[in-house]
Amino acid sequence: MKTPVEQPIPLGGAAPPEERNLRKVLVLGGDRVGLELAERLAAEGFEVVLLGQAQNGSGTGGVTFVPHGRLSEVRGFLGGFDVTLSAQNGRIRERIGHIIAAAPAEVAPKFSAYGLSRTDGALALSEFPEWIARSDPSTSRDGKWFHAAFLCGLEAGSHPAVFSRVLDAVEQLGQLQNVQTYVFTRHLKVAGADLERRYRESRERGTLYFKFDEQGCAFEQTPEGVKMVFSDPLLGREMELSPNLLVVDEDLLPPASLEPLLRAIPASPAGSPFLQPESTRFCGVETAKAGIYAVGPSRGVFAPDLIVGDVEAVVAALRKPLSEPAPWTGLSAPEVDPEKCTMCLTCVRICPHGAMGFRDRALADPFSCVRCGICAAECPMKAIVLLGGVEGNETKAQVDRDLARVSAPGKIVAFLCSRSATDALESAGIASDHLSVVKVPCAGTVSTSHILTALREGARGVLVAGCFKGNCASVYGTALASERVAEITRVLGSAGIDPARVQYAPVASNTPGTLARAVRELEESLV
Amino acid sequence: METDALIVGAGVAGLWSAWELALHGATATIVEAAPYPGGHVARFCCKATGRCQKCGACLLEDVLRKVRGSDRITTLLGSTVLEASDTDRGFDLTLLCRPPRIFPDRCDGCGACTDVCPVPGALVQSPFDRRMVLDQQRCLRFQGGECRACEEACTRGAVNLDMPAQKIPVSASAVVLAAGFRPFDPLEKPRLGYGRVPGVVTAAELDELIRTDKWFPGAGASRTRSVAFIQCVGSRDAKIGRNYCSRVCCGYALRLARLLRSRYPDIEPTMFYMDIQSFERDFEARLGEAAREARLIRSMPAEIRTGSDGRPEVVYEGMDEKRVAEPYDMVVLSVGISPGQSLGNLCSTFGIDLNSDGFLGPDGEAVTTSQDGLFVAGAVQAPRSIEDSVSHAIKAAAAADRYLRRMANREKQ
Repeated sequence: MKTPVEQPIPLGGAAPPEERNLRKVLVLGGDRVGLELAERLAAEGFEVVLLGQAQNGSGTGGVTFVPHGRLSEVRGFLGGFDVTLSAQNGRIRERIGHIIAAAPAEVAPKFSAYGLSRTDGALALSEFPEWIARSDPSTSRDGKWFHAAFLCGLEAGSHPAVFSRVLDAVEQLGQLQNVQTYVFTRHLKVAGADLERRYRESRERGTLYFKFDEQGCAFEQTPEGVKMVFSDPLLGREMELSPNLLVVDEDLLPPASLEPLLRAIPASPAGSPFLQPESTRFCGVETAKAGIYAVGPSRGVFAPDLIVGDVEAVVAALRKPLSEPAPWTGLSAPEVDPEKCTMCLTCVRICPHGAMGFRDRALADPFSCVRCGICAAECPMKAIVLLGGVEGNETKAQVDRDLARVSAPGKIVAFLCSRSATDALESAGIASDHLSVVKVPCAGTVSTSHILTALREGARGVLVAGCFKGNCASVYGTALASERVAEITRVLGSAGIDPARVQYAPVASNTPGTLARAVRELEESLV
Repeated sequence: METDALIVGAGVAGLWSAWELALHGATATIVEAAPYPGGHVARFCCKATGRCQKCGACLLEDVLRKVRGSDRITTLLGSTVLEASDTDRGFDLTLLCRPPRIFPDRCDGCGACTDVCPVPGALVQSPFDRRMVLDQQRCLRFQGGECRACEEACTRGAVNLDMPAQKIPVSASAVVLAAGFRPFDPLEKPRLGYGRVPGVVTAAELDELIRTDKWFPGAGASRTRSVAFIQCVGSRDAKIGRNYCSRVCCGYALRLARLLRSRYPDIEPTMFYMDIQSFERDFEARLGEAAREARLIRSMPAEIRTGSDGRPEVVYEGMDEKRVAEPYDMVVLSVGISPGQSLGNLCSTFGIDLNSDGFLGPDGEAVTTSQDGLFVAGAVQAPRSIEDSVSHAIKAAAAADRYLRRMANREKQ
């Protein structure tokens, strides 16, 4: 995780838009998927700007094609993104409502993983369709068999979407006379629709599969071709094969065009090339920032039939803000007290959802805010007040009130995240008269001053219980909470107060036992 | 009763479809045969080892929280679809709705009823709040019997056996079938020793024991240290009609192995496998370590039997075609995902066919069926992980929403 202080201010100078256009969409495309998506959106009444795709003959209405356009910068918020595109005729600025990353996967042939180079007899998998269109291996040599060998995850892993394409090629060659096909692999990735059946059928029709464990296959590449030397993993026999055609598999990687979007989403995980945080809470097409969506390879989905589903899902996702009443009806965004705000922009840097902007003071975008309260907890001036909670209506004001109510001397104050520990409490059956519960929207809501207040009011101990690392719906709320607890325990220790009085416990909704244990251990340590 | 969408099944896919439809402004009614929502996921444990392993089990509680807070969603537990016919406006259905047999506000989860119940599994604790629930498909009283043992044992008057079930007519514009799957029954592979050899369990059973804090390795000489995971039990097995990969079991076994090791570092996992299905996003970062920690044996066991010391013994073909018999403290069968039990009924009720793997609806990953207005979501259509089921359900809801809007427009014209 990037720590928030290391993050650049993502959207310099942007303030939440006063007027929003929820009908204008920028699609980062590049293949059929982008085009289909643009046409679907246009049919739904959206106005679409499509990058990376030449205009097709039909000249779809509602779609503006920018074939050589690249996204270079994104500022702003859902309904009012200011995007800069670099196109052939210079820079274009556009006001956009939604941005969808739907570019195709980067395809990286794995020649170097095998110590091979590309020649006429050693192709990358993507080149096969073109090769087969202009070759007829079954008639090219009189009476002799044509040997075609496919590498599929023989080194450096593989993916069901890659194996599916290998099977496409193997099946195509299977239609021809006098062609013998081979597949060299370590683990066949059959965890996709119909792959196991197709694998068995190809084997029954004569394709030979070699699955290697420790040892692999040695390649000798000469101008005449490639010789493969290996020991048959089943029979242990030394074997040699000089295929007429060697097809090298490829890595499927997220598109390279995502950088400006990664910069626009402050919670983008460092080192991960995908647009979504690793938390399982992001299993649709939405990203951590409202108005930016990931389709297919941008979120690690590579199988074509799954990408079709993503297209359907993203069209529906774009319709959600248009529904009546709007999803955020009745929810207010955090309010920033102009008297207290010093424009330090801590909140802008730290908001995992990119929901904070600024003009003369920090401003929250009500459409993007998920009411996690991390901004309020981190604000050094205590200038941010959170009024409307998202689930269960926990609010910062309410947290403060609850805290004042429960902090009776001798109690253990437990701050429980509404996405995990609150559920766990219901089934934990904790029989403790000493427990006072404060529900919080995210563990990241609990500030050091909340914890100190509880102690000052006489709490014997403080437990902060939130989600596990890597699971937080606000990406790093969990990490912030546990860091704050660690910091407080250091301070308590040096002040001669028992640091064990404050604890952080990761808990999931379905691990009530973990919560009960954490409470018990805290109680026991205070005896 | 009228609803925009009727959802069959309150597992993670059904709940998520309902929630997404509600976000689009539609009303949804969920019909669930079991007395509590959540399907299989309600019995799965969190696999976090200090950090999240991305098993997705928490997505169930997430969506339950959302569904409970939505006034557009009605959930009918203990209910089934009796009949359905399609009309020009959608579907006319008859539901059989059974009232809750245990009043939740009176039950305190003491378990007195379970102690006297003659049928195992008929009275169980709800996975969410410790209260008891009665499964009317198992209870003798609802199978034509006269048993009232639980009612007599309950001191709080919480048991309610007499209120009759009702037939309720419902008209729905769209139907989403999210009836889920059935874990493969390992008794179909008797050589693997399940139910016969002590120490052989299914991964699902181990999972539930961990969720309910009931699994411990023990101490002393009988402490569980060596654990064998047997992959592809009921998957990739054309001989028994399972000509597909269940897609989830490799990740599942690796997560369980890692969870056990993180709690009890002396546990030594071994995996018997054909091919490890590692491909999900960030797999290497998350589960690469688990795969390296485990001893990997590429072989499917021929037999699992009780060894001379009483422990289960895995017999397999090792190097050079030699037969090897290895004792383990525990053998975990990674049972695959089989087509759901009620699929035959759903096919005849809704007039659709099974796909080539015996699941419901089309081949591939589609959410639409041969019937207009009828959609499939989650593992009812193909083996899917929790996360993939949610993703599939979101797509099913998107397609259903599109269909509902088309119907509404047609009606306006």
